[in-house]
Amino acid sequence: MNNIFKYLLWTVLISLISGQLHAALRVETTTQDLAAIAKVIGGQHIEVHSLTSGTRDPHFAVAKPSMIRRVFRADLLLVIGADMEIGWLPPLLQSSRNSRVQPGNPGYLDLSEVVTLLGKVQGSISRAMGDVHAKGNPHYWLDPHNGIQMAKAITGRLTQLDPGHAIDYTTNFNAFKSKINSKLPDWKKALQHLKGKPVITYHNSFVYLANAFDFNIIDEIEPIPGIAPSASSLSSLITEIKTKQIDLLLIEPYYERRSAQYLKQQTGIQVAVIPQSVGAQSNIQNYVDLFDSIIDVLQLEENN
Amino acid sequence: MSFIPHPLLAMFFVSGIFLINPATINAAENSKLIRQQLLELEKQMQSQQKDYQTQIDNLEKRLNESAVAKTNVPATTNPLNIGLSGLFTAGGSSVDNAALANLQAGGHDPNKNGFTVQNVELSIGAIVDPYFDAQANIIYLINAQGETVVELEEAYFSSRSLPWGLQVKGGQYFTEFGRQNKQHPHTWAFVDQPVILSRFFGGDGLRSQGVRASWLMPTDWYSEIYFGMQNPKGETVTSFLNAAGEEVGGHTLIDRNARGLGDLLYSTRWLNGFDLSDTMSMNIGVSGLWGPNASGNTTDTEIYGADLYLKWQSSRSQRGYPFIAWHTEVLKRRYEAGDPGDANPETLKDWGMFSQVSWGFTPGWVAGLRWDYATADGNTSSDPLRDTRKRLSPNLTWYLSEYSKIRLQYNRDSAEHLAEKTADSLWLQFEFSIGSHSAHTF
Repeated sequence: MNNIFKYLLWTVLISLISGQLHAALRVETTTQDLAAIAKVIGGQHIEVHSLTSGTRDPHFAVAKPSMIRRVFRADLLLVIGADMEIGWLPPLLQSSRNSRVQPGNPGYLDLSEVVTLLGKVQGSISRAMGDVHAKGNPHYWLDPHNGIQMAKAITGRLTQLDPGHAIDYTTNFNAFKSKINSKLPDWKKALQHLKGKPVITYHNSFVYLANAFDFNIIDEIEPIPGIAPSASSLSSLITEIKTKQIDLLLIEPYYERRSAQYLKQQTGIQVAVIPQSVGAQSNIQNYVDLFDSIIDVLQLEENN
Repeated sequence: MSFIPHPLLAMFFVSGIFLINPATINAAENSKLIRQQLLELEKQMQSQQKDYQTQIDNLEKRLNESAVAKTNVPATTNPLNIGLSGLFTAGGSSVDNAALANLQAGGHDPNKNGFTVQNVELSIGAIVDPYFDAQANIIYLINAQGETVVELEEAYFSSRSLPWGLQVKGGQYFTEFGRQNKQHPHTWAFVDQPVILSRFFGGDGLRSQGVRASWLMPTDWYSEIYFGMQNPKGETVTSFLNAAGEEVGGHTLIDRNARGLGDLLYSTRWLNGFDLSDTMSMNIGVSGLWGPNASGNTTDTEIYGADLYLKWQSSRSQRGYPFIAWHTEVLKRRYEAGDPGDANPETLKDWGMFSQVSWGFTPGWVAGLRWDYATADGNTSSDPLRDTRKRLSPNLTWYLSEYSKIRLQYNRDSAEHLAEKTADSLWLQFEFSIGSHSAHTF
């Protein structure tokens, strides 16, 4: 009897310890785009979860208590950086009491540091200019070339934290890179009709997309970043659309459509609602889906 | 540049190895040959790899060329977060300033007809080192007498990475009791603080010097327990050892000091957070306070509270809108007034609650409605801090940006101690916030 008890105790202990040893790496990300890339690289060796949903504007998330719990348990935290999460991540990190994922430690990876940021502000800036990100425009995941850079950095960090699965991570990265590189020519071909064209957006979130696919964003509906349009800013935009013959307006799904509808009414400009993130629509499950969907929307615009 | 595909190349060499492997060639020569051929194979593969790499590099180079030249970003040198926020109100009431001082008992409430500088707050915070964070909040305000008041509102350190989900905080800080008490005036959803908080915790909220530990429990949901001890004496520890000479329920307060560990102010809080769905989240908490009070030498006070916060946010929110937030707190106080040998020892029982809804209906615009209720046992109708009091406050706030807001609030008061029994007040509030980006509070 005593022996059976001992046996049971040892079994429980060993399974607990081995469970600890073999537990998948817990990865938390601030956006679903990061989660999607990490999932591809990490495969079954990681448990990945995004703190925000792709249907919402990641700049305006609020630090919920459930997030504290998640960051507390995380082994690796992936962030967009460039002040994207400035409103909610600092208090979250402060109350997470998890030293592994604090900036400077291997469990914290800011992906804005591995890509070339556009829209860095030269000279002095003030808040009179609206929500200007001094460090550069943080919507960089919308360029598939950057996706490869992000995946590369994530691969490196996963390898550092979990060297035992380094081969799998590298294999997954190579597969991801080939997939994107093989898709790129198709995507570019599909958006041939936009090449060099002037385009208007709601917020300055699509500069990387424009850069990747060679179209020109010449203005935004927001008169300055983060400030809603007024009647007078819209009317000057109408003049601009007419004189510069702009016929495409890009808008994220979460922005109000009234201004865009009004511009469409006044000028006939086409309005394309671009899913800006993985998870923005239920059919966008991964990073490749994201561009497939964006290209779908922009191709439809051509056919209209 | 063309290549022999991998498998073919490999087969060629493998068969080559077999072909040139007759027994006539001695072993040394054989291995030399194989080594040479392997080297060649390696070279071929390297050049193939190099070619792929060049293709990728070209793509990357193209990207970098089109981008702004990469400048060397200096590593941020452990920056101080410094911010200043100013809160100003203009307005008036159907009652005079003396009556208004009782109705708007919060130290940062608009409390006189005309203009009020409610709160100018300088906050400085930073990460100290890998072990601690530190924060100080210094307040400037102009009181009803027109005098400038400077307060060290908070100054504390908190641990960053203790094991097992523990955190320690020490210094001068707002006691974690309920949800509202530790909020600073510029984050309030209304221009003034709830009536019951002014009654139990005074004009400035419950704050004092001490330490507290909290434990983030290993549950599947967010669950945190706080336990703290603080000095029970001072003007910001109302209901405990505060303001000698003043009266609570007709009992004059004496100058009493804490004489031992048993005389400290003990606080505890258990806070739970749940995500009910993708769009709904809930916080539910209970809190308790135990400490000595100054109505006698052996008298104690107990305060209990429960708080509930529910928030809905649209799954397609723009700048965080639309949302609906509902915040309710109930508080109860048991106050032993007077020592057993005194003329009239008694136990004062007070309770009250507030319930408020904020509806962010379109980006930048929030409509709010708050209902306040406070009452006490016994004949308290002439005591402005213990009578039965109701207040209904609708308001409308326009956030011009993340850094400024304008708020209009109407208060309909009904208080037994007032000669008129009711009062109507209208306040227009303005806030600015400069310096480091403040957090979006949940």
